[in-house]
Amino acid sequence: MLPSRPLRRTLSVVAIACALSACAAKPPSTDEAALADYRQNNDPIEPTNRFFYKINDGIDTYVLRPVAVAYRQVPGAIRRPVHNVVTNLAAPVTLVNDVLQTKPRRAGDTLMRFAINSTVGGLGLFDVATDWGYPAHTSDFGVTMALWGVGEGPYLFLPVLGPNGARDSAGYVADIGFDPLTYASFGGSRAVQLSRYGLTALDTRERLIDPIDQVKKSALDPYATFRSLYRQNRQDTIDRTRDDNRATVPAWFSR
Amino acid sequence: MMLTRRRLLACSSLAGLLLAAAPLTASRAWAQAGGDATAFVVRLGNALVAIIDGPGSYDDKKARLRPLIDQSVDVDGIARFCLGRFWRTATPAQQGEFSQLFHEVLMNNIFGKIGEFRGVTFAPTTTTQREQDTLVGTTIKRPNQQANNVQWVVNQTAGGQKIVDVVAEGTSLRLTQRSDYAAYLQRNNNNVDALIAAMRQQIAR
Repeated sequence: MLPSRPLRRTLSVVAIACALSACAAKPPSTDEAALADYRQNNDPIEPTNRFFYKINDGIDTYVLRPVAVAYRQVPGAIRRPVHNVVTNLAAPVTLVNDVLQTKPRRAGDTLMRFAINSTVGGLGLFDVATDWGYPAHTSDFGVTMALWGVGEGPYLFLPVLGPNGARDSAGYVADIGFDPLTYASFGGSRAVQLSRYGLTALDTRERLIDPIDQVKKSALDPYATFRSLYRQNRQDTIDRTRDDNRATVPAWFSR
Repeated sequence: MMLTRRRLLACSSLAGLLLAAAPLTASRAWAQAGGDATAFVVRLGNALVAIIDGPGSYDDKKARLRPLIDQSVDVDGIARFCLGRFWRTATPAQQGEFSQLFHEVLMNNIFGKIGEFRGVTFAPTTTTQREQDTLVGTTIKRPNQQANNVQWVVNQTAGGQKIVDVVAEGTSLRLTQRSDYAAYLQRNNNNVDALIAAMRQQIAR
């Protein structure tokens, strides 16, 4: 299967980066164990990734984390609705991906959650749908591609987005295309979109304060630890999506 | 006695019956192991919660957690796994020192979480078998946080049933730790002594 254009572009960027020798030195074929490790890591542009990690770490330590910690001081009664709104706004992208993954029950959950939370839940402020039997989940085009059989591609550490992979970054770009909010023009001003991205980032960072602190404190090589965690978590998300084969029940069945 | 054709047929049918029965007994043995492992994890979880939520100072709790973890977790096995391919090339002295330091690092990481896990509740979910390991799934709910799916990988070692890995939301503790050490070693010329020195520094902090 031919890789999609964004994926090919990403791959060619990686190839160029490799050619500019920003590549990890591949161990000699005599050292089998080291070679196996190198392949397993799937991180051919490790020096470039580590460079971006260092920059990101700086930005995170001096800007993102302090803002997130300050945000944590805001009472939960305000932070929880913000989280709900931000999650609700991501529902259309999740829905498109659920459909592309041919997971009807998940698509149904997402659609009902969006409908219920946007109306009864006051434009997404309150998560009523979970109590009504529609569990939450998110999905993205990276997972969709994985279920279609696309391999994960080399590991990438992107400047602001953090741990990622070739397939998943292509998926991220595709999701921006799927998101209706990208196309909505609020009187020509980007303020709504920017504040939405800002709030999403803030909410996510605040939720990750403790896990990230824990890794930075206890890991000898935080970069490698984040890489391992990201990839394991990603594989788990893909597996759980693949194994979610709950059937949709037709209306006549429950009567 | 001569092996007559009739006896051969009788033997083969008996063998066939035994072979047919074997999967049943094997699966019953697995089921038994599964049930045992779940009970083991539940007991361990209850004991941990009792210490964490119980009375006493932080140091008291540490003193009581230590023997519980020693007897329930295969720390040496995990240490060996985490050093990965470098275990074979390390000297016995390095191996011993690494295991000891790993023990301390693991204990410190666990003690650091005592505060976070006050008031936690957990419940077993599904238990599956994977080769020789039993994966006991649990849902762990910390107060004011979302519930997390954590799997406890239990194995039958020489010292009885022990935990060999913890998989939190799909991420395996020992795999992550092994990546960390392997990356550190790779950037330090595969020098196990450098790793040992770094671990000692970690503990001293």
